[in-house]
Amino acid sequence: MTPLLLARRNLLRARGAAVASIAGVALALTLTLALDAIYAGVANGLTAYIDRAGADVWVSQAGVRNLHMVASWLPASTTQQVQAVDGVGEAVPILYATDTVAAGSDRSVAYVIGLPPHARAGGAWSVTEGDPGPLPGSVLVDAGVARRGGVGIGDTVTVLGRDMRIGGLTEGTASLVNSVAFVSFGDFNAARGRGLVSFVLVRAEPGRDAAALAAEIERRVPGVSAQTTAAFAEQERRLVMDMSADVITIMDGIGFLVALAVLSLTVYVATLSRRRELGILKAIGARNATLVRSVSLQTALTVAIALGLATLLTAAVAFVVPRIGVPLAPAVTAASLAKAAVSALLAGLAAGLLPIWQVVRVDPASAFKHGGSAR
Amino acid sequence: MLVARRNLSRDRLRLALSVAGVALSVALILLLAGYREGVYAQAAAYLDHAPGSIVVAERGVANFLGASSTVPASLDARVRAIDGVRSVAPVITQFVVFEEHDRKDGFFLVGYEPTTGGGPWSLVGGREPAADDELVMDATSARQHGLAVGDSVRVLDRPLRLVGLSRDTTFWAGSLAFARIGALESLLRAADLRSFLLVEPAPGRAEDVTRAIGQLGVAATPVDTVIANDQRLLARVYDAPVGLMVVIAFVVGVLVVGLVVYTATVERRREYGVLKAIGARNRTFAGVVAAQALIATSLGTGAGVALAWFGSAALMVWRPQFVVRLELEAAVIVGAASIVMALLAALAPARSLGRLDPASVLRG
Repeated sequence: MTPLLLARRNLLRARGAAVASIAGVALALTLTLALDAIYAGVANGLTAYIDRAGADVWVSQAGVRNLHMVASWLPASTTQQVQAVDGVGEAVPILYATDTVAAGSDRSVAYVIGLPPHARAGGAWSVTEGDPGPLPGSVLVDAGVARRGGVGIGDTVTVLGRDMRIGGLTEGTASLVNSVAFVSFGDFNAARGRGLVSFVLVRAEPGRDAAALAAEIERRVPGVSAQTTAAFAEQERRLVMDMSADVITIMDGIGFLVALAVLSLTVYVATLSRRRELGILKAIGARNATLVRSVSLQTALTVAIALGLATLLTAAVAFVVPRIGVPLAPAVTAASLAKAAVSALLAGLAAGLLPIWQVVRVDPASAFKHGGSAR
Repeated sequence: MLVARRNLSRDRLRLALSVAGVALSVALILLLAGYREGVYAQAAAYLDHAPGSIVVAERGVANFLGASSTVPASLDARVRAIDGVRSVAPVITQFVVFEEHDRKDGFFLVGYEPTTGGGPWSLVGGREPAADDELVMDATSARQHGLAVGDSVRVLDRPLRLVGLSRDTTFWAGSLAFARIGALESLLRAADLRSFLLVEPAPGRAEDVTRAIGQLGVAATPVDTVIANDQRLLARVYDAPVGLMVVIAFVVGVLVVGLVVYTATVERRREYGVLKAIGARNRTFAGVVAAQALIATSLGTGAGVALAWFGSAALMVWRPQFVVRLELEAAVIVGAASIVMALLAALAPARSLGRLDPASVLRG
């Protein structure tokens, strides 16, 4: 009998135990995969506005390389200075603040964007209902936020300390952390009137390289940082990952320990219950090496199936979560899968040691003792 | 109960592994709940230590974190003039991203006047900022970035000199940092603007003062309400992922106990069959199985609580920015969940015994 066949039979014979084992390990691996997917989803959600604003280059106050909750203030004249740079097709100033949108007693964090009339960048990319852009006195809010607050078109919400009428509803503008709300440039200025702008969004002339244009803007316009949209989004993803790195490390550690305990328990129990059969095999000449390989393969099979299940389970979570009203789209990444595979492999190797030790210690004579199955 | 105990203790290693599995699940649930509580406590830390019991902000703003608020600097004098106001501390707040050693960190930067308060409440090194180019930052963050008093830290577009180190000023997304109000005015190009006024009324005058401030066209909210609002905002971010993790940990616990009790039961099938043949009822077997599950789960829960306690202490030493608050309420909920876990785990083995045919074991 080959080790693979033996391992498969061991797993199939105690199906209940095998299923519990695979499920336990799969769930433990899901802990780490799901957490990674959640953070990747948060990072993607945070970059949605950057990705969809329609800019090739983002110009900010010098030193500001992120959008989330930061402040960036530039003199209004910066827009003209940026517009004058060779290769700039259009420079659109926007105002930005992180604030709360209050609908009755419901409050949620929002990036509030102040948009000039007919702005060709920086506006909502998908308006499901109402005005396509914010008119004076009105605000465009995310449809999910409006639904949660029990408000709709024509209702009043408080933004930037002012009561504003909901003029339009947008979609794809909410993440787990915040949503995006759009008001007119004039209203923003009236609320926070400082004669400044937050960012200048640049649309490059056709055929111009965005990275070269960003470098040229930084060289020509004093006191600004200029980044391509891709670079700006990457900085935003790094912010989320850097700030959550410790949480992820801790959860990975706990997930690994849970997987290890479950795997050790199940492989140990399965080997224990086959002790009599292992004794018979040894009595008829099977070598320790064959039996050890069989146990190792049993562990490897459990881990491999569990990893596949964990991936499917996480993918299912990623599919279901955004469909039950949670503003988050968990994303399973290749790096995260590789990390889970390594974790599973290490847990499998460690968990295999205990049953291997049992197998080596099996006394062939035990097979012929009455009822010698347990200890 | 005796039969259950004997069944379990027959293989101590198996019992130990099952206890470890449950303990890890329970510890995970407790640590997650404690982490969430710690996040909330950190969210309240600044307002808990700052002067004032009323937060004055732009109209419509009843949050301190997550909201931006601007009020004119001149509001300070108008609020001070209200009868019953004992003290006013103006502050400017702004989240800034700080990057050192290729790692991004968040500062919740607070600009304050040393004469009126609102700055660091506990310094472990250096002093408070005396000039607009000086900064106090959290000691843990400073240590993690290899910074010491006297070093230069780049904040937005200018360098500030680190003159003091504070403690208990970390929070879930970074740490608090403090500078003079003039530094924030300059960094944010926000001369003559303030974010909040922290107002302390004379004893018994809170309601009058709140009403009078409200008549100035701004929001005046009790500190406790603002803290509760901030915690509600955080709950939206944290509750979904933490809830998912807790559900997974719970199911792992059920599976581990279920597996142990199931194998212990299957192993004793013959003995159970004999008992059944001489008249033992299914109810008796269900009791034995449930008792086994309860014993394994109770041991695991006890070990899990201990593990969570030591784990949280170790975590806070390793990463002081994490505050884990293990609450009695969470332990009680986990205890109740453990009983549910045990009963669910006992279902499969109990069903297996229920279907047991006494004749088959006597034949065997």
